[in-house]
Amino acid sequence: MKEQYRETDVVRNILDIQFGVLSAQDMQQLSHAHIVSSDLYSANKLAREPAPHGVLDRRMGTSQKDVTCETCAKDLTDCIGHYGYLDLARPVFHVGYFKNTIHILQNICKVCAHVLLKVKDKPGLCEQAKRITSYLHKKALYKRINELCKKMSICPYCGARNGVVKKLPPLKVIHERFRNVKKGDPIITDYISQFETASEYNKDLESQLSTTVVEFLNPSQVLDLFERIPLDDLPLLCMDQQYSHPKDLVLTRLLVPPNCIRPSVISELKSGTNEDDITVMLTEIIFLNNLINNRSTGKVQSVQDSWEHLQLHVAFLMNSEISVPHDLSMARKSTRGFVQRLKGKQGRFRGNLSGKRVDFSSRTVISPDPNLRINEVGVPIEVAKQLTYPEMVTSHNLALMRQLVRNGPDVHPGALFVKPRISPGVKKSLRYAHKEKTAMELRLGDVIERHLMDGDIVLYNRQPSLHKMSIMSHRVRVLPWRTFRFNECVCAPYNADFDGDEMNLHLPQTEEARAEALTLMAVTSNLVTPRHGALIVGATQDFLTGSYLLTQKDQFFDKEHACALVNSILAGKEASYKITLPPPAIMKPKELWTGKQIFSTIIRPNQAYPVACNLTARRKDYTRGEELCSNEAWIVLRNSELLAGALDKSLLGSGSKKNLFYVILKDYGKEHAADAMWRVARVSTFFLMNCGFSIGIGDVMPGTGLLARKHELLLDGYGKCDGFIGQLSEGTLHCQPGCSAEETLEQLILKELSTIRDKAGKACVMELHKTNAALIMALSGSKGSFINISQMIACVGQQAIGGKRVPNGFDDRALPHYERHSKIPAAKGFVSNSFFSGMTPTEFFFHTMAGREGLVDTAVKTSETGYMQRRLVKTLEDLYVAYDMTVRNSTQDIIQIQYGGDGLDPTELEGNNGGPVDLERVLDHIRAINPCTKEDPLSGPEVLQLSTKYLADDAFKDLSQEFKAELRAFMEKFSKRVEKMRARLSKDRTPHPMARHIERLTLTQLIDFLNLCLERYQASVMEPGTAVGALCAQSIGEPGTQMTLKTFHFAGVAAMNITLGVPRILEIINASHTISTPIITAKLKEDSDPEKARQVKGRVEKTLLGEVCEYLEEVFLPDDCFLLLKLAMDRIRLLKLEVDAYSIKYSICTSKLKIKEQDVCVESDTIITVRPSRTKASAMYYQLQHLKQHLIKVIIKGLPSVSRAVINQNDTGPGGKPKYELLVEGNNLREVIATYGVDGTRCTSNNTYEVFTCLGIEAARATIIREITVTMETHGLSVDRRHIMLLADLMTCRGQVLGITRHGLSKMKESTLMLASFEKTADHLFDAAYHGQSNPIKGVSDCIIMGKPMNIGTGVFKLLHNHQREPKPRTHSLIFDHPQMHIPLALGGWS
Amino acid sequence: MADEEFDGDDVGDDFEEVEDDENLDDLQEGEEDETQNQYVELLGAGEGQAVPTQKRITTPYMTKYERARVLGTRALQIAMCAPVMVEIDAESDPLQIAAKELRERKIPIIIRRYLPDGSFEDWGIDELIISDF
Repeated sequence: MKEQYRETDVVRNILDIQFGVLSAQDMQQLSHAHIVSSDLYSANKLAREPAPHGVLDRRMGTSQKDVTCETCAKDLTDCIGHYGYLDLARPVFHVGYFKNTIHILQNICKVCAHVLLKVKDKPGLCEQAKRITSYLHKKALYKRINELCKKMSICPYCGARNGVVKKLPPLKVIHERFRNVKKGDPIITDYISQFETASEYNKDLESQLSTTVVEFLNPSQVLDLFERIPLDDLPLLCMDQQYSHPKDLVLTRLLVPPNCIRPSVISELKSGTNEDDITVMLTEIIFLNNLINNRSTGKVQSVQDSWEHLQLHVAFLMNSEISVPHDLSMARKSTRGFVQRLKGKQGRFRGNLSGKRVDFSSRTVISPDPNLRINEVGVPIEVAKQLTYPEMVTSHNLALMRQLVRNGPDVHPGALFVKPRISPGVKKSLRYAHKEKTAMELRLGDVIERHLMDGDIVLYNRQPSLHKMSIMSHRVRVLPWRTFRFNECVCAPYNADFDGDEMNLHLPQTEEARAEALTLMAVTSNLVTPRHGALIVGATQDFLTGSYLLTQKDQFFDKEHACALVNSILAGKEASYKITLPPPAIMKPKELWTGKQIFSTIIRPNQAYPVACNLTARRKDYTRGEELCSNEAWIVLRNSELLAGALDKSLLGSGSKKNLFYVILKDYGKEHAADAMWRVARVSTFFLMNCGFSIGIGDVMPGTGLLARKHELLLDGYGKCDGFIGQLSEGTLHCQPGCSAEETLEQLILKELSTIRDKAGKACVMELHKTNAALIMALSGSKGSFINISQMIACVGQQAIGGKRVPNGFDDRALPHYERHSKIPAAKGFVSNSFFSGMTPTEFFFHTMAGREGLVDTAVKTSETGYMQRRLVKTLEDLYVAYDMTVRNSTQDIIQIQYGGDGLDPTELEGNNGGPVDLERVLDHIRAINPCTKEDPLSGPEVLQLSTKYLADDAFKDLSQEFKAELRAFMEKFSKRVEKMRARLSKDRTPHPMARHIERLTLTQLIDFLNLCLERYQASVMEPGTAVGALCAQSIGEPGTQMTLKTFHFAGVAAMNITLGVPRILEIINASHTISTPIITAKLKEDSDPEKARQVKGRVEKTLLGEVCEYLEEVFLPDDCFLLLKLAMDRIRLLKLEVDAYSIKYSICTSKLKIKEQDVCVESDTIITVRPSRTKASAMYYQLQHLKQHLIKVIIKGLPSVSRAVINQNDTGPGGKPKYELLVEGNNLREVIATYGVDGTRCTSNNTYEVFTCLGIEAARATIIREITVTMETHGLSVDRRHIMLLADLMTCRGQVLGITRHGLSKMKESTLMLASFEKTADHLFDAAYHGQSNPIKGVSDCIIMGKPMNIGTGVFKLLHNHQREPKPRTHSLIFDHPQMHIPLALGGWS
Repeated sequence: MADEEFDGDDVGDDFEEVEDDENLDDLQEGEEDETQNQYVELLGAGEGQAVPTQKRITTPYMTKYERARVLGTRALQIAMCAPVMVEIDAESDPLQIAAKELRERKIPIIIRRYLPDGSFEDWGIDELIISDF
């Protein structure tokens, strides 16, 4: 059984983890065995005894079941394993610290081992290094000292020359001592002269010496240097002297890990054993070791070779993925070193420490069941008999427990085990015990492992778990058959369907877990998504169709049917409800009830039922006339009575705030909302089952009228397209700004073809009868859209690939069935047939091409967004709202002073524009539920005056200023409305007594309203402890997965493409410096004049000389030759370029071509001549050609980084006057702002890094927020601004824009465990060890890895027992306490 | 699935060097700030100190996390045969009994809320406003 978690002070608590480098002494102290033998097993083959002092020595623990450890005498399950050590014959570099080894070597003098810093700098830096506590600062200082030391070439202590230290892959170090010394310098000649004798005998040496002189630093030398580093200099290496010393970075001894982590498995297939990679590598190392030891008198070369091999083998043991030159690779097969065991998804960190396998879980196929409640899950009886819950016997449940024990393991509500309290650790299986006897012997405190039962709380989950609603707690209903079942309303949060999906179910094992699951994770507590505060659980599919049909205006029921329908809700806890059937809508000739009446009864079964919801909404297809709308799209609910309108997806489904269930949730709580949802599900399916609903071929058969209309549309559209194509070939096509003729044609044709389909779609929807099944489904929002209908009936339309028409896969054509260069619609993927009429082969082929694109896109997207989600969650996981309402991370750094700027919870907000209350609706609600018929209505000024007075009350001081202002503005608006209404009605006649009751608001209602607003506001304040970071990550990551297709480019304004979709989100959160489509939006000082705008455009846009040249000619005269440039003055004038011949001359002279001023000559206003330079060596002809080629590319005006600028026309100027702004494609915001004519204060770029460098960190934050919002909005996804703000705040909280990548992350977080569990596992661990970092267990990842509860949510506070203190017993005063009772000390008496 | 690829050192190594170099300056600036800050006096943290009852600043509402944990802890106590503080009918589920106790404010538990500076506020169950229950 799972042990219950106990937080006590008695048990040891891991507060932090200390990383460090083991010294040779440490290793020996840790060890229990000295390993010297390269044999695995002793010579006696039969006994299979591990060789003594071999790597399998039993003193290091055991890996077999039947053998005990020789050190602790425990068996396999209990022995924790013991280390051994082996001494290396020669020191070798540690591959993990190799980088640091190089750094240290760069930092110290290679002669005297002092740190290469100026003597005066040292004490300061030393002091700083000692003082730094933050890991981030330490790393930065380390880097800085390294930079400083690299610049020093002469040691200030011994005056020795130091050069560049570099690594030579794989694991060698070279020191170029004389790199910056000129040849012939005395230092170098002296050095070379040392080798004179040697080179006399070895001629090869001379050639080596003549080139650069490099020294190899072998591990022994390095070790010697490291040992000599003076103690005072050690802090400068940023190592913690207590836990790491430079000399330990070079290995002289190896720790041999315990046997249990590298078990030796006796092979069943062949004789002998299968050894772990580590064991094999260790034996190889010992073998080499012995080789070197034995050969120490042999040839130098062979010892050197063995040493190198030893070095590599030790490196492979640590990390087997280091790249090795081919000749050294020794034909290795891939092995698993220590690093490989840790890293990656299956590695120790991600595979075992952060994600763990669990007991008490189950998984099976899911299926729907509308009869189950929203918060229930149907569990197969077989599963229920397997999953157990340990329930303790108390006086409350003794009888029940006895019954369960009696039932035993095979009868359903039974039990599997009993654990008597008197004998802890003993588990009695009921399969083999006497059940009756055991039942009677049950005592309080015994634990029964009982079956899963009805009403138990389980966690229910479907992968991918993209947001918190992917795992919710349900109540169990044990049912027959073999699938998990749940109400379809809960499909949306799990993103589940029933085409074979499987889901997981977990049974929490402790009371605490049950309580948390029930209060925090229940379906009813998660009806609303924190992404944008709308319902996510809601009616779907058949429920919508049913409700839509039920609430149609022509739906009538006689008494029998009405009662049958209404009674379908009588089940479960509603079984005993009294239902008041309203009076029939039609009395004669027959009593008939409308469907709307039935629906109202469902929402409010009787008058005593508390739910009275009020809602006025309009559907998308609303026309006019409010209640009289011909589509029944104006919905009015008054006190739970449906007065007008047919209900569709927007009213019942998920994703909207103008929603029936949402209103119930807000006004009457989650239980009522869930109940209402269940009742609607019951009734609509019941209704649908009785009236029947199906779709057949007849529903998609077009009529003759439609066919004729479609034919007409096609002819018309094709004709227009042919016209455009003709215009293109004649060259009369009028180009759109910034586009070539071809592009313009494509756009025109695409637009034309899409209108064909739209018109055909409209025509077919018009023609369909209102009983058409497809139409009903589209209208009610249950399945399919109008596009789908028109594709089935009328015309499939243009097939697009990458947002364009089908590209040419063959020579100049898309398919070989068409002419080359054909641009007619059919040749480029226009499908004029419908799915009903069937596609021609070519059309079908185009259709598959588009279909394939969709499939590829989803496949690619899932992995991309999955990784994005992981990164977001890892960076944001530890942010929470502290009790002082600030948003902090686990190290208590403030990220936001108040969450989202107002401290409100996006889950609780009802208002449309981020406010906590939808004032209009709440006022209506108050007026409807309490008509206050006795009171007099207030007049307009009274309303305003009274509300202002009441708002000034002390109770309202908690409201934020924004909300108060919103409330005040609303009351003002309302009072004006009342005033206007009264004025209108009393204009020319005495007011009717009823006139006062229009827009009626009484004093009680007003006060109720204001109080309700206050209450709602207080309820929507973010609760301290909430993991807002995780919510933010999920709210941004989850919609990412929904951005399917049309992702890459989106045609924006004026043919300017901007990247959108997942690629754009990735760009923003990665904080990429170069983005694919940088655009600067520049507002103009004079934004109403297109001429001025064109001038500014000319100043900004890069203009090449070639673009304004009429011609460029070589001129050869008998005595002269030059290039003649003719400027196209018309063009210059047209483009409003501010250039003339002189400015162009200047541009030519200052360009990279290095033309001298006297060689360029302005002959007239339009003619410039350029002469080749006479001084240059090359022939004048070639110079001329060179000039001719490059002259046209000289930039004569504009910014080099700006490739294009487009003038954008905004129609929303005052007085209908168009306004102009400049959209600049390219970077360099700074220069654009500085351009004359641009309003510098209103310029911005979509490149965050650009904005950061130019305008600063706050501007960068604003840009991130804006860009993410825009991207999400263009895909029709709404995300609460608070989430985006939090992300932007986190990315900018360190004063520079940090991306959500491993680079950004390692600058944001200090926790090594967290970083190691993200990416680059080994690097972070080695770094931490080098710096002797201590890692406090505070963050979320840290806590998960250590198995501690985290300090977020239910972990931010502690609980204490509130024992009533007994009043202290009265203390009687002792006579000694009274001074007067004392006998005066008479000293004299004693003497 | 595919993020395995990103874990290796194949992706980022090319530009990692560049980025490291670039940010060096920024970090150095931060470093200098640090040196100036050594003369700034830090206010003493309230580590382990209780905030007096009158000076409490946190919300008077019981958060859902507090409710969940209080219920869980109390349910566990009841499951381990602790005396129940309210009249119970037929309920045997400790969680339901705990919920009933909480409704009647009879749970003998104090919530110790920690503020970021390490000081804490003690709130009894009977002092807190419980909404949405």
